[in-house]
Amino acid sequence: MHPHHLEPQPACRSGLDDALAGLGAGVLVMDGGGQVTFANPQAAAFFAPIQPIGLDLRSLFGLSGVSGGSAIAAAGAATPGAAIRLGLPGGQVLDSRSQPLPCGGAVVTLFDVTSYVHDAELAARDPLTGLTNRRGLHAQLSRQLGPGAAHAPSLAVISLDLDRFKEVNDTLGHAVGDALLVKVAERLRSATRSSDLVVRLGGDEFVVLQSCSDQPGGAEALATRLVDLLGRTYVVLGHTVNIGASIGIARSPDDAAEPNTLLQRADMALYRAKAEGRGTFRFFQDSMDVAMQARRQLEIDLRRAVALRQFDLAYQPQVDLVSRRLLGFEALLRWRNAARGPVSPAEFIPLAEEIGLIVPIGEWVLRTACQQAADWPAPLSIAVNISPVQFRGKRLVGVVSAALAASGLEPSRLELEITEGALLDNSAPVLEALHALRAMGVRISMDDFGTGYSSLSYLRKFPFDKIKIDQSFVRGADTDAEAGAIVRAVAALGSSLGMRTVAEGVETPQQLSRIQGAGCDAVQGYLTGRPMPAADALVLARQVSGILETAGDIA
Amino acid sequence: MSRSVHRLVYYSRNHVRGPLDAALRDILRASRRNNAHAGVSGALMFNAGCFAQVLEGPRAAIEHTFERIQQDERHGEVSLLSFGEVEGRAFETWSMAFVGGSKRDAGRFGDIAGDSGYDPSRMAGDALFATLHRLVLEEEATGAA
Repeated sequence: MHPHHLEPQPACRSGLDDALAGLGAGVLVMDGGGQVTFANPQAAAFFAPIQPIGLDLRSLFGLSGVSGGSAIAAAGAATPGAAIRLGLPGGQVLDSRSQPLPCGGAVVTLFDVTSYVHDAELAARDPLTGLTNRRGLHAQLSRQLGPGAAHAPSLAVISLDLDRFKEVNDTLGHAVGDALLVKVAERLRSATRSSDLVVRLGGDEFVVLQSCSDQPGGAEALATRLVDLLGRTYVVLGHTVNIGASIGIARSPDDAAEPNTLLQRADMALYRAKAEGRGTFRFFQDSMDVAMQARRQLEIDLRRAVALRQFDLAYQPQVDLVSRRLLGFEALLRWRNAARGPVSPAEFIPLAEEIGLIVPIGEWVLRTACQQAADWPAPLSIAVNISPVQFRGKRLVGVVSAALAASGLEPSRLELEITEGALLDNSAPVLEALHALRAMGVRISMDDFGTGYSSLSYLRKFPFDKIKIDQSFVRGADTDAEAGAIVRAVAALGSSLGMRTVAEGVETPQQLSRIQGAGCDAVQGYLTGRPMPAADALVLARQVSGILETAGDIA
Repeated sequence: MSRSVHRLVYYSRNHVRGPLDAALRDILRASRRNNAHAGVSGALMFNAGCFAQVLEGPRAAIEHTFERIQQDERHGEVSLLSFGEVEGRAFETWSMAFVGGSKRDAGRFGDIAGDSGYDPSRMAGDALFATLHRLVLEEEATGAA
């Protein structure tokens, strides 16, 4: 292809022609009247079959179907400025810059940025759902909130996780999981406006960036709709699937003006929505930030406590109601932190379970309790609590057997107390572990009986050695007849199933005589013995009878 | 493409705002267009309180149609009663019927059923359809209460 000249130029221009042809960019030269007088081969190719020579830019762009060129065409290409993006009808994207010439007229350079623009778009897109990805979200947030953005735009970050998505992936496979995510993306698009940005961060995490000045009403209305819409049944690749959505909302400028803080605060609100039952939404509140910081500090301290072994065991006696003899002790975890003072297990155990620290802590408890019990002169039992989380790693049986071997404790003296939480999800491997432990001679108790959802059905799943009746029933029997009836019924149930029953939380002689009358086998509570240090338990173990006689003094 | 037929049965609360008969004609028209394009046929029962629909056709088309229904603001509390492969179609085309307790509504909507060629005897033959019919009636009564 040859350069298109309006008329032949002097021979000395041929070197310049070659240079312009080899530039890798389109070049148009305009005269003072705005007419194109020169087009290099690249420029001619962009506009083919329209010949640029002799046309002004407005006509050239109009005839060849170029979009986005009105600014540069109106300015007659005479004013220099930032690149203006042009779209060619074939999909090519050009960046054009114009430079005025000293003798009048202008030079317009045209760079083909198609692949660059295409790559940038791809890079900002989630390939599975076609939604904007994390990178695109950050780009959009810095456009809307960054320096140079319009003052304090009203923006809501709606952070969204799917409930039970993992189960879908695990039970129906990734193909169904992926198809489900595509449907979720469709529903998100259908419920949002074109001014909203729908983002998939990855996995089952989504964000909707809502540009809406009516806040918090706008975000509330959308969140309500999304919880309903995403919770509706899906049919995917022949399967019926039910999931839910939990949502956290943070608003700019009220909650934060900086993109990362805003996203973080939406996540805090999401965390709260999940903690408060899922399938719902929560707005960010400053108290969440305070609570999260406190939780973070507790986590740091707890990790340090594990490293520094800041734990102790306290031992609470269990007493046989018939023989009135000391049966053994339950080992209770105590955490002593210099700055915090004694920390209640109710405060740190749930966190330890959530972050998995309960596994090393639980191992330490097992080893220590077995070792200390092995030192007792009488063959008393030692009860140790096992968290549902400890069953997940499949290491529990090995850990128990190692603790027994290291201490030399008779396996039948060790009682593991589990709550029905352990049997709640995925009970087959838990039952397998329980049977393996039983085969070793270890005893198994059902703890906190009566406080869960369906304790009775769990009694059929495994032949527990012992049922521990929750203290709420023991104490409740003081004031309501129903609690007393429940204690009696559980005692009778245990007796017919061949499981011993222990009443927990006995504090007064009245409660003691009532549970005795109810037919319970054993008792544990402040009345018959408060939790005590290991040294005191050792002393008590030397005098294995007569506890009940002195119970009145202790109370 | 597989020729197997899937059937999906659901009922939902009717959230139509504005005149119901116009919305229903609109839905029936869309359903028939869908039938022509995607091979989806079935039956729609309705009253002032709810919709109940049987969709039959190729699996992907049924899933697509159901997804559109889930996203449709005219439906609320969609209950999926059954979804799976069946031997053959019970409804070769689209039929539509008003099934409600109210005589006034029967007068208003009865002609839609007539136009659509709804055949109640065919519905009565299947236990699931009979259940659907009962549910739709109950829902209407609950909604009115």
